[in-house]
Amino acid sequence: MLTEYKKLLSPNKVHLPLTDSFYKIATAVVKAGEKVLRGQIIAYKENDLVKTPIFSTVSGTVVEFKQMRDRYNKIVDHIIIENDKQNEDVEYKTFDGEVPTSVVISQLTKHGVNILDVDGIYTSLKLDSSINKVFVNIINVNEPFISTDYSYLLEYAKEVADGIKLLGQGKKEVHVILDKYMPAEPKEALIENLGDFDYKLILVNSSKVSGYDYSEIKKIVKEKITNDLHDNGVIYITAETCKVVSDVLRKGHAPFERHILVTGDGVKDNAEFEVTVGTPLYYVVEDLGGYQDIENMNVHVGDYLTGVQLSDDTFSITETVDAVDLSEFHEEPEEICIKCGECNDVCPAGILPQNIMDAELRELNLRIVDLHTDECIECGLCSYVCPSKINVLEWVRRAKRRTN
Amino acid sequence: MEFTTKKAPIVNNSSRSYKRSLLLHFTLIFVTLVSLGLQFYVNSLENAFNALVMVVVSVIVAMTLELFYALGEKNVRKFEQYKGFVEPINIALIIALLLPAATPIFVLILATVIAIYPAKLVYGGSGYYIFNPALVGVLFAQISFKEALTTAVGDNLTPLMMLKETMYGTTHNFDLLQLLTGNYIGLAIGTTCALLLIVSLVYLCISKVVDLKIVFTFLLSMALMSLIIGWFNGYWINFMIVNLLTGFTLFAATFLISDSVTSPTSRETKILYAVIIALMTMAVRVLGNQVEGIVFAILLGNMLTPWMNRTVKRSSKKSFLTTIAVALVIVILAGVGLGLLSQNMIYPELTNIMEVLS
Ligand code: SF4
Ligand code: SF4
Repeated sequence: MLTEYKKLLSPNKVHLPLTDSFYKIATAVVKAGEKVLRGQIIAYKENDLVKTPIFSTVSGTVVEFKQMRDRYNKIVDHIIIENDKQNEDVEYKTFDGEVPTSVVISQLTKHGVNILDVDGIYTSLKLDSSINKVFVNIINVNEPFISTDYSYLLEYAKEVADGIKLLGQGKKEVHVILDKYMPAEPKEALIENLGDFDYKLILVNSSKVSGYDYSEIKKIVKEKITNDLHDNGVIYITAETCKVVSDVLRKGHAPFERHILVTGDGVKDNAEFEVTVGTPLYYVVEDLGGYQDIENMNVHVGDYLTGVQLSDDTFSITETVDAVDLSEFHEEPEEICIKCGECNDVCPAGILPQNIMDAELRELNLRIVDLHTDECIECGLCSYVCPSKINVLEWVRRAKRRTN
Repeated sequence: MEFTTKKAPIVNNSSRSYKRSLLLHFTLIFVTLVSLGLQFYVNSLENAFNALVMVVVSVIVAMTLELFYALGEKNVRKFEQYKGFVEPINIALIIALLLPAATPIFVLILATVIAIYPAKLVYGGSGYYIFNPALVGVLFAQISFKEALTTAVGDNLTPLMMLKETMYGTTHNFDLLQLLTGNYIGLAIGTTCALLLIVSLVYLCISKVVDLKIVFTFLLSMALMSLIIGWFNGYWINFMIVNLLTGFTLFAATFLISDSVTSPTSRETKILYAVIIALMTMAVRVLGNQVEGIVFAILLGNMLTPWMNRTVKRSSKKSFLTTIAVALVIVILAGVGLGLLSQNMIYPELTNIMEVLS
């Protein structure tokens, strides 16, 4: 259970990765030793299709360019900026009042947040004309630690609501997913700020691990859902992404902070954080009082079912990180599948992971196709429930690869 | 402190297969102990002692066989912990509990050997066998040593046999209390005390060791069918009570059909599986002479399991509900059909043929 809400906004240095799995090439426009302002463009990253600027999240001096580990456990080029803690900003262009969708799109693109994609089944902010539904998830969950802390929402209810309105304008169906047992205060704050904007509330019980978002979206979309919800005309985002949209237009820049959950028995304390983008993880851990005295540590970034396993704590928090779990490594031997069928029952896509695993073991390609393996959304629930601790999702992934 | 990336980035829930098999294990031991006491009470001391010897011998045989097999496979490490012995002991206990108290020991030993070696280890051991190993052993004993087992039971009529006789005119009285407490000499050591089995079943359901879907569907189908058949034969509810409380029904629900390895893996097929077993059980009970035919029924269900697993493609709430509806219709139709057959209302010749055959 998380109770604390902390801010960590002035690290001594920030490490900003220049490339990632989407953008393969980067060109820096600043040199080592150069002074930069907050919000200043320091580099461009690009791939065959698009080119996006990278902004400095602090004001200070560029120290060096260095190859470091990023949050996907890949070694990529980083730019390291020393923070002078003055927070000197560049001048921003802002928009007030109503903003047409076309401007929203162009501003999001200009600030490079349109392709920002967090883990799980959340989508990026690609607002093209095919999008007709917007789902916003307000619940913070990093299982097995359920956050009941809504300080973030309380503090930014206005921005979140504004973002929802900006995205949902123009005949889009807007659904806001809330927890049934959410405290009244943040809920009212959000509803008040949304005012007479047209949206629907979806109440779920988030303490039950069941892929609720997927099944709710499926119910409303009424068609087969694939890995990428964009194909269904849906964008599905978190409260924080809504604030990003609002900030880009109203403040003229994407937030320089990132809201993350830091959980696990490996650190002295667990908390919800607001950190400056580019802050290395060890800095956050220090703020929590350091590590517990344990031998083997698992660092796990992202969704608790599908995220990435990191090999150290030097990576920096970027816009795509929403949770970090630091736990002691427990050897958990896999046992034989007892064919209990629990993975089949839990699968929100309605496919049969146990049967797919079986078909994969026997290399039955036709059967794998027959079992609708491609509909797996990689939510990881099958691995979560398995009493034999089999990584069922990995088998399904293998089956998918075999038939693709 | 060191960082490791050994573990897949997945948090698991707290349920563990091993914990489940352990719970089942303790429940079985508990049932065995109470059943042995009950044998002493309702049967003779001699029989109770024989039953005790059976349990012990069966367990020893099963454990030794597994150990020797593991030695041959150079895989003994798993027997360093008690964990490795849980499954063989479970199988041994089930076999002993499913045989009459006066079974000759050599029959029991053969049954155990059959269960552990050809029915389990040859298929690849835990998790891979197709037929419930214990049942294969029991069926082997029942078929090959019919004489020996019949003498072991003696002239005592089981409640189901008595029920069958009442259909043809003889009158018998049933005492509900007797059936509940198991205060009668049954066909097997461990299947008589309904109360004990109900308690175990509820416990195993609560601790999620057995699958509710299978157990409930099975018991409900049995109840519904026997109610209808009973109605045709003019018994009303008593027929159902005897059918549910005796004849291995509760034992099967608790320890046999809900065994996850030999039952299907998706919701829909689980329902069908349970219905098929219930249907076969009732059919054998009503039409055949082998009144305790539930053993056949379950093995048939096991046989269909791989096929069912390979037939389903996906699962959804809608298809689940459809399956339940279809299952209900099948159960009612089967009940009516069996009821009519039992009264010679349709195809009197067929019933005659069945009688000749059995
Ligand atoms: S197969 Fe597993 S990972 Fe894929 S959708 Fe189903 S439960 Fe989720
Ligand atoms: S949950 Fe695990 S043990 Fe159960 S059927 Fe699925 S893979 Fe097998």
